[in-house]
Amino acid sequence: MTHDSERARPDAQARLFATLMGRVGADRDREAFSALFGHFAPRIRSFLINRRVTPALADDLTQDVMLAVWRRAASFDPSKAAVSTWIYTIARNLHIDHFRKSVRAGKMDEQDPILQPEPAPEAEELVSRSEDVDIVARALADLPADQKSVLELAFVEGLSHSEIATRLDLPLGTVKSRVRLAMTKLRLSLGEDA
Amino acid sequence: MTRRGNVLDDSWYLDYAAGNLESEAHDVIMASHVALSDEARDRVRTLERVGAALMGQSGSAGAGLGFDVDDILRRDREVATETVPAPANDTHPDLPMPGPLTDWMNETGTRVKWSYLGPGLSKAILWRGPRGQRLWLLRAQPGVSIPQHGHSGSELTLVLKGSFWDGETQYRPGDLEEAHAGVEHDIRIDEAGECVCLALTEGKLRFENPLLKVFQLFTGL
Repeated sequence: MTHDSERARPDAQARLFATLMGRVGADRDREAFSALFGHFAPRIRSFLINRRVTPALADDLTQDVMLAVWRRAASFDPSKAAVSTWIYTIARNLHIDHFRKSVRAGKMDEQDPILQPEPAPEAEELVSRSEDVDIVARALADLPADQKSVLELAFVEGLSHSEIATRLDLPLGTVKSRVRLAMTKLRLSLGEDA
Repeated sequence: MTRRGNVLDDSWYLDYAAGNLESEAHDVIMASHVALSDEARDRVRTLERVGAALMGQSGSAGAGLGFDVDDILRRDREVATETVPAPANDTHPDLPMPGPLTDWMNETGTRVKWSYLGPGLSKAILWRGPRGQRLWLLRAQPGVSIPQHGHSGSELTLVLKGSFWDGETQYRPGDLEEAHAGVEHDIRIDEAGECVCLALTEGKLRFENPLLKVFQLFTGL
């Protein structure tokens, strides 16, 4: 029912991030921004690298994301999303914008390697459970492995559901039903309307 | 008993939330749907939390960053503030255009040019994709029927204004219908008022009636 559930959970770090964002938004507080930078910048960069963005471009896009966080901090609304979710959406959108502009400029086409499946990274890249393991990470951990891996392939490797079907050599319908089952469980455990 | 068609299969929301949709036209129609539909937004929010959790777990260790917080603040001084697109709707005050659609039209310089599609129907093509996909607006007068037709590819139709019926299922503003390749359907515009939809079509429409096949030659759909 509630978008508040994310705040109300005893997640000290999520509250700390929201406080820091408030200080950046209200006072242009560099120390608060520095703390957010220290946590998020390396993760944004790794996220982009996992998606086969070149290191130079990943540096550039990560700086753009952090610049957007700095500039748009006042528009962050803690009742709508956690800081991590807000930053994730900024990173995703800037990444897509960059990619779409390259396609429009004719620098890439749909056969570009960035769109082609590659071998999965070793599990070690995923297991470093950082200190911000929150309720979402726990909910993910509770999912059956086949459902969880579909979500990881989508978010971590950037594969669409049809690319996931190809990668796992499964019928499209099987992947779709794994997504549906995972969503039903997540919406239950994350407290959104089912 | 009527049914309400409103949301798509969850795999669409996953592709959207993870940034894995096939083209910019898919981004635009999904973002417009999410902007207009509470239910779609709830699903996407849940998935974006998953994305944030997985980004949080992506190896933060390893090589140190080649830049620091001072680089961001320097960039802040050097890079012009993002220009906020002017409200773009002024040329179409009568059209209910969702924000993501107007933003994209501004950015790409896309204009709405209506042309005749059939009695009581007009179309405006906004984008053509490399595989023959088309993003287009459909404007239909109340009570108009679009006779039984199939698709050689799939079709997404987002209602922006008014409503239509596909069989017994009603679609209202914010609702997005997915018609699969090969499925025949028969669309009727609700009597209550004009209906405007944003559609993303792959492949040609296929009409059962041979006369409509001729008609199709002229409409380019």
